[in-house]
Amino acid sequence: MTLLTMTVKLAEGLGKTCAIFFLTLLFSLPLGMVVALLRMSKNRLISGVTRFVISILRGTPLMLQLLAVTYGPYYLFGAGVARNKLIPVVVAFAINYAAYFAEIYRGGIESIPVGQYEAAEVLGYTKLQTFVRIILPQVVKRILPSITNEVVTLVKDTSMAFTVSYQEMFTIGKQIANSQTSFTPFLVAGVFYYVFNGVVDFAMGRIEKRLNYYQ
Amino acid sequence: MKRVFAFVLALAMVCCLAACGSTNNAASADRDKVTFTMGVDPEYPPFSYLGDNGQYTGFDVEVCAAACELLGWDFQVFAVNWDEKLIQLDAGECDCVWSGMTILDSMKEAGYVISQPYYDNTQVLLVKEGSDITSSADLAGKRVAVMLGTSGEAMLADDLADLAASFDDLMICNSFLSCFTELGGGSVDAVFVDLPVAAAYAAENPGFTVINEALGAEQYGIAFRSGDQALCDAIEGAVAELVSNGTYAEIAAKYPDISPDNLVFLNK
Repeated sequence: MTLLTMTVKLAEGLGKTCAIFFLTLLFSLPLGMVVALLRMSKNRLISGVTRFVISILRGTPLMLQLLAVTYGPYYLFGAGVARNKLIPVVVAFAINYAAYFAEIYRGGIESIPVGQYEAAEVLGYTKLQTFVRIILPQVVKRILPSITNEVVTLVKDTSMAFTVSYQEMFTIGKQIANSQTSFTPFLVAGVFYYVFNGVVDFAMGRIEKRLNYYQ
Repeated sequence: MKRVFAFVLALAMVCCLAACGSTNNAASADRDKVTFTMGVDPEYPPFSYLGDNGQYTGFDVEVCAAACELLGWDFQVFAVNWDEKLIQLDAGECDCVWSGMTILDSMKEAGYVISQPYYDNTQVLLVKEGSDITSSADLAGKRVAVMLGTSGEAMLADDLADLAASFDDLMICNSFLSCFTELGGGSVDAVFVDLPVAAAYAAENPGFTVINEALGAEQYGIAFRSGDQALCDAIEGAVAELVSNGTYAEIAAKYPDISPDNLVFLNK
């Protein structure tokens, strides 16, 4: 197999890697906010349960969660296994990343001094207005570096989808490496991941700069 | 302070030297004791798998253990990552790959020492009971799973490429279990797999049938690093002795899914 064919095959896989990446972000970023709000709920039961769920999602390997989401229903209830593996893969990734994002959001929200809430109340803002117009814009600025960290990790974590035989870039890389007894596909895949992350880094840097409007 | 440091450093050096000395002694006293590490796929019943007692077992493992006992060697099992088995062999993580491994021409070309074949294998199709697939001709437009790094995968990419082209989709799975789970869960219609593995799975798990059609003949052998011909000869000699004293047949009798008709040494 020539280097070109190899690269083309891997690039096909890169499309599926991108699908996991963007769909995961699409679902996990908002879901993380919901989880963060539940986690900070004044109701002890709600915050306790959320805390427990987060601890499981952060305390067990993502690979295990992938297997559980994909094959768990079959072993537990005799249900079918999804033909399109993108669905269980994105579900597992989105849930897992939402747990991490939730904790980042919580850290950001709790870093805002209480005085701002009091001031907003004096000025006649409702609770929702205070959160959306005053707290959230500051939170977003503060947590962006941490979010970038997670997003960069996500790019690399997509390779774990090989455990459920989803044909993303790493899975294909493994298959080529195996049939050609060669390490080259892994090097090519490594370059692809690195470039992908370079783009992510650049984009996040731009967003950070744009939000830095007080300086 | 400096003095203390120098003293500690000197002490550390002495300890290192002492450690070297002691290992040397141990090695010379135990020079005749060879430790033989067999590399196996830990998920390849009935040839090699994790037994009920938590120890690796299976036909190949038992034969190797008996051969090592005969040779007076220490015996160890090392679980390899199947699609990287030859790299791990080269790296010295194990001394051979012996785990229902199909002999491929590419292995000989790459210089590995390959033993005499000991098992005639065929690839078959495993389907769900009551499936409308009764032969490979029915596979057109169906979804088929095969395990990564198996000879079945190589076959579908090469000799049986035309057959593979008729599939709706060929899913390359990460383990046999994941192939079988995909089949059970209905995301694929058939699994292309080695006969003994399929037979063992169908025997353990109701609801699956092996289709009686041999799709490719191949033979199992043992791979050693290039230059390890002596090691290969020693193992082959020990196995020959196990065959002649009946131990080999005894071990084979424990694994009903391995047909004695296919065991080359029992048919000589």
